[in-house]
Amino acid sequence: MTARALPFKKILIANRGEIAVRVIRTLNELGIASVAVHHRVEKRAKHVRLAFEAIELEGASPVAAHLDGPQIIKAALHCGADAIHPGYGFLSENAGFAQAVADAGITFIGPSADTISLMGDKISARNFAEERGVPVAPSVMPTDDLDAFAAAAEKIGFPLLIKAAAGGGGKGMSIVREASQLKEAARIAASEAQRYFNDGRVYAEVYVEKPRHIEVQVLGDGKGNAIHLMERECSVQRRFQKIIEEAPAANLPAALRDEICASAVRLAAAANYKNAGTVEYILGADGRFFFLEMNTRLQVEHPVTEMITGLDLVKAQIEIAADFGLPLTQDQVRANGHSIECRICAEDPDSNFMPETGSIDYLGVPEGPHLRFENALDSGQKVTTDFDPMLAKLVAHGADRDAAIANTIEALKDLEILGVKTNTDYLIRVVGHPAFVAGELHTGFIPQYAGDLATAKLTTEELDKALIAAALGFKEFRDIAFGLPEPHASIGYWRN
Amino acid sequence: MTFKLDLEGERHLVEIVRRRPHLVIRIDGREHEVNEPGSVDSGRHTLEIGGKPLRIARAHTAKSQIIRFGGRTIEVTLVDPRSEAVNSGASASQIRAPMPGSVVSIQKSVGDSVSRGETILTIESMKLQTALTAPRDGVIAEILRREGETFDKDEVVVRFEDVSGEGQ
Repeated sequence: MTARALPFKKILIANRGEIAVRVIRTLNELGIASVAVHHRVEKRAKHVRLAFEAIELEGASPVAAHLDGPQIIKAALHCGADAIHPGYGFLSENAGFAQAVADAGITFIGPSADTISLMGDKISARNFAEERGVPVAPSVMPTDDLDAFAAAAEKIGFPLLIKAAAGGGGKGMSIVREASQLKEAARIAASEAQRYFNDGRVYAEVYVEKPRHIEVQVLGDGKGNAIHLMERECSVQRRFQKIIEEAPAANLPAALRDEICASAVRLAAAANYKNAGTVEYILGADGRFFFLEMNTRLQVEHPVTEMITGLDLVKAQIEIAADFGLPLTQDQVRANGHSIECRICAEDPDSNFMPETGSIDYLGVPEGPHLRFENALDSGQKVTTDFDPMLAKLVAHGADRDAAIANTIEALKDLEILGVKTNTDYLIRVVGHPAFVAGELHTGFIPQYAGDLATAKLTTEELDKALIAAALGFKEFRDIAFGLPEPHASIGYWRN
Repeated sequence: MTFKLDLEGERHLVEIVRRRPHLVIRIDGREHEVNEPGSVDSGRHTLEIGGKPLRIARAHTAKSQIIRFGGRTIEVTLVDPRSEAVNSGASASQIRAPMPGSVVSIQKSVGDSVSRGETILTIESMKLQTALTAPRDGVIAEILRREGETFDKDEVVVRFEDVSGEGQ
């Protein structure tokens, strides 16, 4: 459709793993050369192999290398990249990095540093939203005076949620149910916030019981025009982090959906937002919704939106960065069917989702026309604590929500990551749970149904099947069972 | 001929009852007819148990078989009778670190009597804190890491005093 040629010949991806692989796919389709960056431990990683060009970064650790903005900009200049795609995480919402990229004469595929700063600080983002008529939860702003903070917070009423101003990912967050716990909770949250974000400011807001996490995908052209690509529901979370996301949200009345999406568009337009972005809300059982934050980057769960709209969000990001404007009008946005994403993590759901390490001794990948398995995995790969425990994302589509659920369960059963413990089997139980199927979701879903979701004891039939299958895999067993003549076999299998 | 297999910490006896005309094996007393599989390599394949096909995925690791079917992943190790005697009760006489990480705080001291499930120390790995709890009732003989110290996966961090005549 686009007649004009994109101004980018080469784009560096300042990321790794599945998202780097995802961006490379679109760059290939657009005929733009891709540049991967990597720490030496990932010399043979999939994103490195798939990229047109790869540059090794130095760093005390792989994460440190990917957070080294000056080194990444140097690499981009060195290889002649026109633009940098930051993916999610790492430097994607770092205003200083966005500015430094622009100062180096390279296009940052994302909003301006000013917009990132505005939305990156929860308090300035909240104030901005409130001024534009986007509902925000009643709250108390941070102050150094803990007594004054506690007194003001008490006036809102309990329960309250204490959050870090600079936070995310549940760090520095706690729920306070009575006045006597308030000061201590604020003190702990402040010290945790200081530790993780180097910013000890905390604030308190009304805590919505059984809240749903609803977010709206927006696109803005940087000139005050914005559209939305429907909402996503990300209520199923553990440790305050999403594990299952879907689009559209289940059981959301049309009028409420329109109201939420319209407020997200209003916010993005008012901010002259330029890029794909996500406006996150909390939705109460009473239908009240409050602005949470805006993520000024591609979201982990963007594929579910792509599945229902048929759009390529990475392509949209690149076209917007090239000042081509929005790829379509609001009227042209069509949603088709339902999509669910499961985050496949190396963790043990039966011991409080502790991260697991190991190696991928066998990788069996589900296939189907309605599936995307977003990953950068290789058979034989080691899974270490160098990176986040998320290994891959399994994204399924269906004509409706029930079909999407059925396709998700079937695909999860066909996903075989053997050698490191993952949450795959657990996700089957979550998606198949009657409350999930009924769309009765809220952010406390996982703890509420912990009993149902725990790994069940094997039935005798399963136990026997597992033991027989395993026995057949041991050479010692096979030699006796099938190999040697009878008298020889009876001597015993430990005779080497 | 009997093999001992370990599945999730429990021992099971797998006995070869007959080899011809079909292999018949007995597990904890239950008999099953099994056909020789075409392949037992890592990957997907179909077994035939009691005349019924069973589709599985399998991985061979250095010391175990990982089997997946019906949305369940199960790891099984072959118990080597020579090492079994030496390691008898080992799993219950010490706590191994489930992950590489560091000690955040220690709740018990050497000589303390603890009950099964009581927290002995709190560890942190990848920014997640987890309690390490006593696997059985007993007396702590040794705590091998101090607060702030690091450890690798599977390193022994706590030892219990021996209990003579222990069945486990």
